[in-house]
Amino acid sequence: MSRLAQRSGPPAARREGEEDDVCPVCKSSRYLNPNMRFLVNPECYHRIKNKFRKQTFEDIQVEREVDIRRRVAEVFNRREDDFNSLLDYNNYLNDVEDITYNLINKIDLDESERKLASYASRNQQTISLNVQKSLQESQNREARQVLEKEQARIRREAARREEQEEKRDREEGRRDVINMLASSDGDASRIAREGQQAVLKRSKTRQAAIQKQQQALSSDSSNGAPNGGFFIQGLKTKVEPVDEGPYDPFQGFSDKRKYFVQQNRYAWDRLDRLQKDTNWTAGGYDFREFCSRTLCEAFSGLGVFIGEEVTRTDPAFVGSVATVAAAEAGAGSKDIMMEDPF
Amino acid sequence: MAMSPTETVAPSSNTKNTVVRTKPPKAPQTSNSSATNHDKPRTAPAPQLFESLNDEEKRKYVKDKQVGKGTYADVFVGHFASSPSTKIAIKKIRFNADFKDGISMDTIREIRALQELRHPNIIALYSVFSSKNQNLNLVLEYCPRGDLMELIRDTDNVHYGTADIKAWMGMLCRAVWFCHENFILHRDIKPNNLLIAADGELKLADFGLARSFAEPETRMTYNMTTRFYRPPELFYQARHYSGVVDVWSVGCVMAELVLRFPFIQGDTDIETANKISETIGTPTEDNWPGVTQLKAYLAPTNVVPVKRKPFYMDLFSSLGSSGVDLMMSMFALDPRKRATSKQVLQHEWWQQEPRPSRKEDLPKRGGGVEVMGDDLKRRGGELPAEGRADKVARKIDFGAMKK
Ligand SMILES: Nc1ncnc2c1ncn2[C@@H]1O[C@H](COP(=O)(O)OP(=O)(O)OP(=O)(O)O)[C@@H](O)[C@H]1O
Ligand SMILES: [Mg+2]
Ligand SMILES: [Zn+2]
Repeated sequence: MSRLAQRSGPPAARREGEEDDVCPVCKSSRYLNPNMRFLVNPECYHRIKNKFRKQTFEDIQVEREVDIRRRVAEVFNRREDDFNSLLDYNNYLNDVEDITYNLINKIDLDESERKLASYASRNQQTISLNVQKSLQESQNREARQVLEKEQARIRREAARREEQEEKRDREEGRRDVINMLASSDGDASRIAREGQQAVLKRSKTRQAAIQKQQQALSSDSSNGAPNGGFFIQGLKTKVEPVDEGPYDPFQGFSDKRKYFVQQNRYAWDRLDRLQKDTNWTAGGYDFREFCSRTLCEAFSGLGVFIGEEVTRTDPAFVGSVATVAAAEAGAGSKDIMMEDPF
Repeated sequence: MAMSPTETVAPSSNTKNTVVRTKPPKAPQTSNSSATNHDKPRTAPAPQLFESLNDEEKRKYVKDKQVGKGTYADVFVGHFASSPSTKIAIKKIRFNADFKDGISMDTIREIRALQELRHPNIIALYSVFSSKNQNLNLVLEYCPRGDLMELIRDTDNVHYGTADIKAWMGMLCRAVWFCHENFILHRDIKPNNLLIAADGELKLADFGLARSFAEPETRMTYNMTTRFYRPPELFYQARHYSGVVDVWSVGCVMAELVLRFPFIQGDTDIETANKISETIGTPTEDNWPGVTQLKAYLAPTNVVPVKRKPFYMDLFSSLGSSGVDLMMSMFALDPRKRATSKQVLQHEWWQQEPRPSRKEDLPKRGGGVEVMGDDLKRRGGELPAEGRADKVARKIDFGAMKK
């Protein structure tokens, strides 16, 4: 609603001192004209019911409306992204509002209930899908909170540890001073002062580190501010996708190589040696990746016919990467390798 | 750089990108001559020929307003001179005197990698030309719908569920697998390098840190990948690693899609490595043989056992049990035990409910100033423009009301 507040300027200004006169439903105060007490602004749908006007602030009425709205919202739970355009969405919201209004105000009650029920039965799938989506969103919000709590716990623990360390530092400092005093004939008050400063310095350094960590932690959560609330959302004009077949993660691409089949292992001294070296294994260097690349390079000249390629240099040529890459390989332009600079 | 095993990766039915296909992406005589030139300074074409080819190329594109700014580049939206409605992005690399020929390694990496890769989920490079002051210009496919980070962060306006997460993840994993299949490591996978095209397709972009798979004897740099998405072997400064470095980053993106903030964060490298140890588990010889031999391995003061499934279920239950299994396979500490990008795509999660959203149904960014205006949703308290009275639709926050 904040955006709207900007747009509708004046009401915001009028808000001052009218805290109690806020409409319980739309939370706008504009429907009340301050000069005519309880004269309902015609823009708000409350205007029709005289009875309601008197009971505006009675909880029971609010509760009833809330219940009806919730019931409707559970059924008409379309989301904005279900729609082709915002206009469609708004039209839908208007239709839903018609039904809601009628239910609240007991106008054409049977007809409205019937509409609600029939929509519910016709749209079961979408309704539960959208329930699912909202659920996921709230689960994700919860996940954020879980992580935030966890971070708060870490922070508290760090603070406790810090406190203990500080105490220990102080005690050590005192011991140091005592020891120094015992073992030297120096100026007692200077030694005490120095001892204190050392403690102070130690704790300052730690404090700075902790502060930094806390900043990091608080910036962690700044993005995750939950935006709570339950929204009535829109109707759908698009149809659910009809069977498109199973989802293909590879999207039709294949990793089958045309000219070679890779073996699991190659007897190759150069690799055998390195494969036992933790400098390679622990970093995750993948020798199969390397073999695959080597084989690919070795075979990528096959199937290239230079004669054909040469005629294809005019810019209008619709080239497949394959032939062009192969052409380069065939033409020996492999020197783009330069020295490996990475 | 490795040649694409391209005969193996014929696009399924994807011929609609006519702009891309009208240009042979690697033909040395045409669009990429400038890139080739910088790759091989000594064998460059005669200057005059180069100039005229370059000018010809440059004239094909018109630069409009700036849409982004990177570390070494300004990004503009533009269009084909011959077709004003065909939008393109022009990534203009600023001349950098620190480098030989004024061109950083990042740029060379990016051009080379993109030349190799043609895939619906990888940003397409149409052409390269140089402009005055020796600035290099990469002509890229234009992605008008921002990046995944914007969607993840806008918790107020952008709502999405598991089907949407699965769709984005699917597109990302396809792109990563395709890179690996072509022997290229991306090494900088993170939400703000995942751009959203006009049709909702996700595009892996910013190949500035990409490199081809290394010869076994080659030492690779470990100081790659933005910190929050960096795998433990790179924190420990492994010099020989593999494609699964990217898989770790993909796991981080998956977690972030759910949490809507980065899963593993730290202000410094050490802090972030500690976070991995706290959040995922502490790497030890038991769970990762050889790890203590890695150069920057730090003996932990506090060993946290590797987190088991219930921990992940608490946080990521919305992904379902199998989605959590997949995520855990991407967070294996030992790179040898981590899923490869191919194994990721073979996982059963993709076949389970819910089916990934269709790209045209994916949520769009919540619109800044431009999108707001007349098209605003009507909510509680708002007056319809025409002052219609009785049917004001509104969003109502019951929770806040009932207190
Ligand atoms: N093809 C594109 N279409 C639309 N916008 C783009 C495109 N490419 C880049 N941008 C915008 O420009 C920004 C910078 O681009 P990019 O990440 O490629 O540059 P970079 O110099 O590698 O940046 P950095 O290394 O700082 O992340 C992106 O974050 C994005 O907002
Ligand atoms: Mg970037
Ligand atoms: Zn009202």
